[in-house]
Amino acid sequence: MITKELVAKVIDHALSNGADFAELFFEDTYNSSIHFNDNKTKQNNVGNDFGAGIRVFYGQTEIYAYTNDLSERSLMQAADAASKAAKGKSEKKVIDFTTLEFENKHLIKIPNDSVDKKAKINFIQKINKAARSAGDLITQVDIGFTEKMQHIWIANSEGLWTEDDRNYSRVYVRSIASNGSEKQIGAEGPGGFAGYEFFNSLDPEYLGKETARIAMTMLKAKYAPSGKFPVVIDNGFGGVIFHEACGHALETTAVAKGASVFAGKIGEKVANSVVTAIDDGTIPNGWGSENIDDEGMPTQRTVLIDKGILKSYMVDKMGSIKTGYARTGSGRRQSYQFAPASRMRNTFIDNGSDKLDEMIASIEKGIYAKKMGGGSVMPGTGNFNFAVSEGYLIKNGEIKEPVRGATLIGNGANALQKISMVADNLEMGQGMCGSVSGSVPANVGQPAIKIDEIVVGGRK
Amino acid sequence: MHDKELKIIMDYATDKVDEIEILLLINNSFSVKIHQQNIESFDYADAKGIGVRVIKDDKMGYSYTENFAENVLRDVVDNALENAKFTDDDEIAYMEAHPELNQKLDIYSADLEKVDVKAKIDFAKKLEQYAFAADNRIINVPHVGLSDGTTYHRIMNNKGLDKEEKQNYLMSYVSVLGSEKDDKRMAMDFAITRDMKKIDPQQIAEKSVEKCVALLGGEEIESGEYPVIFDNNMMATILQTFSGIFGAKAVHQGKSLLVDKIGKKIANDKITIIDDALHPEGFSTRKFDSEGYPSQTTKLIDRGKLLSYLHNTQTARKDKTRSTGNASRGYKGTLSIAPSNFFLQKDDHKKDELYQEFDEVVEIVSLQGMHSGASPISGDFSLSAEGFLYEKGKRKNSLKQFTVSGNFLKLLQDVEMIADDFRFNMNSFGASSVLVKSLNISS
Repeated sequence: MITKELVAKVIDHALSNGADFAELFFEDTYNSSIHFNDNKTKQNNVGNDFGAGIRVFYGQTEIYAYTNDLSERSLMQAADAASKAAKGKSEKKVIDFTTLEFENKHLIKIPNDSVDKKAKINFIQKINKAARSAGDLITQVDIGFTEKMQHIWIANSEGLWTEDDRNYSRVYVRSIASNGSEKQIGAEGPGGFAGYEFFNSLDPEYLGKETARIAMTMLKAKYAPSGKFPVVIDNGFGGVIFHEACGHALETTAVAKGASVFAGKIGEKVANSVVTAIDDGTIPNGWGSENIDDEGMPTQRTVLIDKGILKSYMVDKMGSIKTGYARTGSGRRQSYQFAPASRMRNTFIDNGSDKLDEMIASIEKGIYAKKMGGGSVMPGTGNFNFAVSEGYLIKNGEIKEPVRGATLIGNGANALQKISMVADNLEMGQGMCGSVSGSVPANVGQPAIKIDEIVVGGRK
Repeated sequence: MHDKELKIIMDYATDKVDEIEILLLINNSFSVKIHQQNIESFDYADAKGIGVRVIKDDKMGYSYTENFAENVLRDVVDNALENAKFTDDDEIAYMEAHPELNQKLDIYSADLEKVDVKAKIDFAKKLEQYAFAADNRIINVPHVGLSDGTTYHRIMNNKGLDKEEKQNYLMSYVSVLGSEKDDKRMAMDFAITRDMKKIDPQQIAEKSVEKCVALLGGEEIESGEYPVIFDNNMMATILQTFSGIFGAKAVHQGKSLLVDKIGKKIANDKITIIDDALHPEGFSTRKFDSEGYPSQTTKLIDRGKLLSYLHNTQTARKDKTRSTGNASRGYKGTLSIAPSNFFLQKDDHKKDELYQEFDEVVEIVSLQGMHSGASPISGDFSLSAEGFLYEKGKRKNSLKQFTVSGNFLKLLQDVEMIADDFRFNMNSFGASSVLVKSLNISS
């Protein structure tokens, strides 16, 4: 098995062509998923993700090689491929490993593999029943139940030696309402960086009823209008707007190449002064939290924007080499199959002092986005889009009929200036964020916010 | 390959299961990314995995591993059996020794594996050089690179099936950032091949730059209904987004727009949509699917009429028809249905003719937000887009970011003209440029 001697040998070999830095990342993960629909437990799957990745730096060139074969021969082969990809002048060698100790801020009360599958299916059935009894229009309920126990272990040529266990628990519910000719969806997907106790903290009845309510509401909704309107985006997953509009452009992955609208703007006013935005990897059991990042650095709370002023980027090790900014514990990856990159963790707009009612009351004609779907951005241009999954018209300061099919588009730098009110009801929503280093769990969050003007892509 | 590991599983499972299917995947790949003529990154992958599917007492269970230690391989069987116990699905995909395909497919090039790393790096570097050289408004080339890979599949079951297949590819791509006054735009292009001599870095670079700079300086368009042209890549993107509705599983679960539509006219006469796992130019071409079922060409929509869904053996049995060879499963996943090379058949109109049909036409050359702004369940979409306004057949100006909204089935009914500029995208979805009578544009 993996010993310090073997790791030292592999890392030394990876350095042997004059590299500046070498790292070994090892992962042994238990994955479990249950898929339920048609009132039945359709699929049960468990599996073992297992492999190692070797990363080598030559200046600003990064080399990554991975394998599932953890024999000495195979690891040395990967180290060989990585070291020979370039040539450097460093004469580094591993001297000794020092184990990095850290406080476990995310305690697990009930390990997922200690719970009987029947209990899990019972939980799923309660959601299904609640959704289906919410109304005859509910014709299908899809439930995905996923658990992941990831053991990671990192060593590098600077002498780092550390390991951690990460536990993820998530349930994803999609209720479909149909009136014969049309179909609409309501979805919820709560998740935690936690053990089975996370499921015990959820109300299955609520998940069923809430998804059914959204689907049935959207079924009777008319298409959203099109054009420019003031929009109120409510708390929780609404935070996807900051994630897409600004978050990705604040990752050094984009900043280092100058492919970000926020490159070179630290200390400048980039948002309305009511906006304070934070990326926090330390929230206890938060979906995007970690004790240490995937480069073995303890995570931290990083203030990105303070009262409109840009304070920090999200910085990984290579990003730090390229930009000169200190690392923020933001190096993340989906698995050993990816080299880490700077990524968001739990990213949110902080509480302000406005009230949701006042925001609604301040709008003559606009849109209230109660729930948001996903979105995307081109960091180079800052142009973003995201979808409203439950929306309503605002008329003369009051929330009126539901509207469907609205996508909001805009430009990150521009939209930040147009956030004029921030409420005091901060909440988080869970998502999977896809980027260069794969798909990672990320919280988005915000209190309700008012954007004075944004393009709504509806019909007529 | 890996005879020893597969035998361990098979031997251990023989007395415990009614049926077992083992999927083995080995993937070797390489990629290089360039930034400002320096190598930004090299990636080497050597990945493998085994997935098993078992049937016991008419219940189906799954399990997989990337760890090939002997005790873990036995655990895989036990885990799958344990999982089977807790399902109550009566829709079982039973296993068979499906026949071999009597056709040679050209999906592996030994020469491609011999291309040396230096040639690949040089190609990517040239791609970046050509991109900067093509126009001085290109201020950055954020993404440029080349990747290639070889994939080996083996599938066997205890009914006598044992099939293997090897395929490879090489892909190169560039994405450029252009700037003029206050406006910034990004555009990308790519090439995918099994013969590196057939792709030209200058051509890929210039295509992406041409698109990028043409978009600069966009003007706002008045919100309203316009005739719309989707260029070939964007029409392929639309097809890809909504391709899931053709899967029989989605139909059976009431999640598709095509429930009860077989034999009915769902699109206009110009529309023929085909799934072809034998297509000579496709990169999803293969001899067999994830159940080992032989590949075929399936006409899904013929001149507007829906002829077939995409099937695996389980959905086919339920519909009293035959599988179309579209069973899909990675070793980590569970059995589902997916398209292979999926495309809208081209017509013989020149692209220029599409601009002439209406006084005002919006052409869309970029779409964003497919995973959030499009609902395969309702068919509705509202997407962020970029493109141009044409007046009386002439390009008038580029447009500021806007949205395009509509419904997929309505779009298929409203197609006025299809061009001859057919192309597959990176994910094996193909289309030519298409003119649609009317869609909603917001800005």
